[in-house]
Amino acid sequence: MHLDRRSLILTGLSVSATLGLGAPAVLGQARPRVVVIGGGAGGATAARYLAKDSQGAIAVTLVEENETYQTCFHSNLYLGGFKSYDEIVHRYDALAKTHGIAVVRARATQIDRDKKEVVLSTGQRLPYDRLVVSPGIDLKYDSVPGWSKEAEETMPHGWKPGRQTQLIKQRLDAVPNGGLIVMIAPPNPFRCPPGPYERASMFAHALKKAGKADAKIIILDPKEAFSKQGVFQADWEKRYGGMIEWLGPKVHDGIKSVDPKTNTVVTGFETYKDCAFVNVIPAQMAGEIARSAGLAPAGGYCAIDPATMKSAVDPHIFVLGDACIAGDMPKSAFSANSQAKVAAMTIRGEVTGARTFPARYVNTCWSLVDTDDTIKVGGRYEPKDGKITATETFVSQPGESDALRKENQAENLGWYAAITADMFG
Amino acid sequence: MRSSRQSPGWFSFVAFAASLSGGPALASGDVALGEYLSSECSACHQTSGRQVGGIPAIVGHPADQFAALMNAYRTKQRDNVVMQTIAARLTEEELLALAAYYESLKPPG
Repeated sequence: MHLDRRSLILTGLSVSATLGLGAPAVLGQARPRVVVIGGGAGGATAARYLAKDSQGAIAVTLVEENETYQTCFHSNLYLGGFKSYDEIVHRYDALAKTHGIAVVRARATQIDRDKKEVVLSTGQRLPYDRLVVSPGIDLKYDSVPGWSKEAEETMPHGWKPGRQTQLIKQRLDAVPNGGLIVMIAPPNPFRCPPGPYERASMFAHALKKAGKADAKIIILDPKEAFSKQGVFQADWEKRYGGMIEWLGPKVHDGIKSVDPKTNTVVTGFETYKDCAFVNVIPAQMAGEIARSAGLAPAGGYCAIDPATMKSAVDPHIFVLGDACIAGDMPKSAFSANSQAKVAAMTIRGEVTGARTFPARYVNTCWSLVDTDDTIKVGGRYEPKDGKITATETFVSQPGESDALRKENQAENLGWYAAITADMFG
Repeated sequence: MRSSRQSPGWFSFVAFAASLSGGPALASGDVALGEYLSSECSACHQTSGRQVGGIPAIVGHPADQFAALMNAYRTKQRDNVVMQTIAARLTEEELLALAAYYESLKPPG
């Protein structure tokens, strides 16, 4: 009897289904197991491409503790009133139904690298042949003096999705005309480098539209410079007059403390009292599961092999997205999505013998400044000199035509639809 | 060749570009390589062929039209910086592979 690969796999599936879990490996052809931790831009993409491209030859399990996924990308458009909250929430249903991925709703609490097993919050242990770790970031609650986990209710960060995003919107909507918003920007490296500055733009847009153009947004930045700075600042002046003021470390002399009880921010040179709203975006690090597994140093991010996205410390583990050190690539959803495809290709090559190709990476970050005014930055990347290195880059320039900026926004909307389909479709 | 952000439309542009190219037969494009390289495209251009916003659908187009358009970005005759960046380092083999792969996809009915 002749069995081609596809029918062999299907036969294996039906036998497994008949005998249930715990059945002995049948046909000597147990499917290789890939577990993916984290259902964001890195993890969901990796799971989908592994399942889709292997056509059932790999048993893919996606571990994600949340039932739905709210994108951090375009959450600023929600804050600015350009999207509803529902438009930035996505489900995992199609990954299970269309692609046969086992979506396990639990938190990964431990990676047993010796046994090659992931331990879940439910106590279940998931053995793996290859593991993809894409947990995103954790916040450093001690990076801003006076701020804490408890203080995130009164001084929200909005840098992890869900309730925090909605909290930022509520606080923004409550700002009176003439009120002061202080945003504390994070130090490098952090999730979404243009994000704080797009957010400030959306704050100004929403306030202006609500007739509160006398409100003010002060950004206190620990960095000397930020992404797309020249074009952001030129556009802020053009669109919002003096509503947004950016202060670098030489101008504010350091953020000395915040007091969530009185909404006060103290810098080396100034005390901002009775702020209408303080948005603390703290320093960041790789998600806890990556750090506890020894894939990242304490407080840091995970080193990877730029040709494969493999962890530098464990050849059976791949680390994607915001949790990894991706050289010249920013921590963005686009980057994570791109890295996931290199990892999925490499894994398929290793466990099914599929063809592999040299790694290529790409990223573009669009930022909405005002209605029909979107700027962008991006590049193309390859493994080179021991890291992921930019081979071409581009960035928007001040003074570009209104038509180009409007075209950028149309791209931005098209990109969102496409990347979310690429992750969850 | 005239280049514009707003016009001509994508379809008319590629038809025009292809009429000028008279390039080699494209049947030799490596579809498997093209499928892998297309993962660089699919974050913006939906593989289903669905079109949203300002990013055109690219599935199911004749390979010679596809290759002509990518060449226009590579030589900066067409002026979208994202596409110029993507096209800049594509080798001829890669460009033909992508063109062959996208030609092999069925456009949405």
